[in-house]
Amino acid sequence: MTQKQHSDHIYIEALLKNDSRVLSKIYEKYSHKITSYVRNNNGNYDDAQDIIQETLVTIYHQAKEKGFILTCPFDAYFYLLCKRRWLNELKKRGNKRVTIIENETSITEEQEQQVEETEFFEQQNQLFESKFKELGNKCQELLKASFKIKSMEKVAEFLGVTYGYARKKKSQCMGKLTQLVKNSKEFHQLKKY
Amino acid sequence: MKEETYILFDKYLNNELSSIELKSFIKQLNTDVNFKEEFEIYKSLEKSLSSKFENEEATKDLKATLSNLGNQYIKKETKVRSLLRYRPILVAASIALLIGFFLFNNGEPVYSDYSNHNSLELIVRGDNTEEFVKAQTAFNSQNYEEALALLTIASKNNPENIEILLYKGICDLELNNYNSSAKIFNKISTGNSAFSNTAKWYSALSLLKQDKIEECKQVLKTIPTSADEYSKAKKLLKKL
Repeated sequence: MTQKQHSDHIYIEALLKNDSRVLSKIYEKYSHKITSYVRNNNGNYDDAQDIIQETLVTIYHQAKEKGFILTCPFDAYFYLLCKRRWLNELKKRGNKRVTIIENETSITEEQEQQVEETEFFEQQNQLFESKFKELGNKCQELLKASFKIKSMEKVAEFLGVTYGYARKKKSQCMGKLTQLVKNSKEFHQLKKY
Repeated sequence: MKEETYILFDKYLNNELSSIELKSFIKQLNTDVNFKEEFEIYKSLEKSLSSKFENEEATKDLKATLSNLGNQYIKKETKVRSLLRYRPILVAASIALLIGFFLFNNGEPVYSDYSNHNSLELIVRGDNTEEFVKAQTAFNSQNYEEALALLTIASKNNPENIEILLYKGICDLELNNYNSSAKIFNKISTGNSAFSNTAKWYSALSLLKQDKIEECKQVLKTIPTSADEYSKAKKLLKKL
């Protein structure tokens, strides 16, 4: 599938390169609108800053892991992501007296699709992360070492075990994790997408 | 599923299966739904975790950059910073307050007990910076007449900025322009901005300043428990 890259993809590249000059443009151009939205809906400046940062970090992870390509203007895509994240946050806080001020921007199907792609990516990531934490300490340690060090020979050396044992343990731990994910109710909700 | 299955997954992902093993692996993928589902999860987990741990440092660096930019571009709440800045004064003030409590514990609350306004920090980027700085300096040095004049202009130029309007109302209150301040506080109270509860609090203070105690109580009661102003409102209500 070839996707046509939008010229705003520079922002995605800036995230990948941690290019603060280009990233400052994101804050300069878009943070005001998001801050107003958050503050008009029971939030403060700190909330707005968190929402913006978390959204950008998610996009970064998606770009890094999945090679995410932006095919629509950044503005609407980013705004909608932040907005939905804030609504979720309000729900989490159990805020019942939410009066949402909508300044509806028209959204194309393509933009909506990109937003959903990012949200799906994040939900999956969160599920994986939370299940990883349910593993025993030994498994967590071994998996972390094997993903960081890459070479299983070195992992075995690092942990003071044989190569064969390290390999076997790794797939066992991954198997356990697979089971945890598969049997979670979040996974079944994600499958519906 | 059996342990061997996961060892098989691991071998497949590392390209370690012989051609015969590979054939039967692919066949099973195509025929066994459960096998395929678990393989898909295993593969996604492998990809996700390896990306996460590989990029741990880079993510930390990126977050540092973003925090910096956020602090630079998103105007912050004034409370925390101004409190720190005025720490010596605060210490002195709280000692004075303590002494006050001992001496006048039974005294009636008056407006001046509550008129320590948060300092105004409007500096935002844009064309109006100079105008804002002047208004802000005037307000923070309690020069309310000048602040009112400057904030009136600023408010006309930035009709959507509720904070400016709120501080204009506070100036009116300080200068005893009760009608004008009441209008402003009412307007903000009934709106949806982050300042609506602050405006309710000031409506109550305005009534307190005019000795309209009953009305003041009524307004205080409208401040919801979730508001920042709730605890001071409750305390004031108790005393009245």
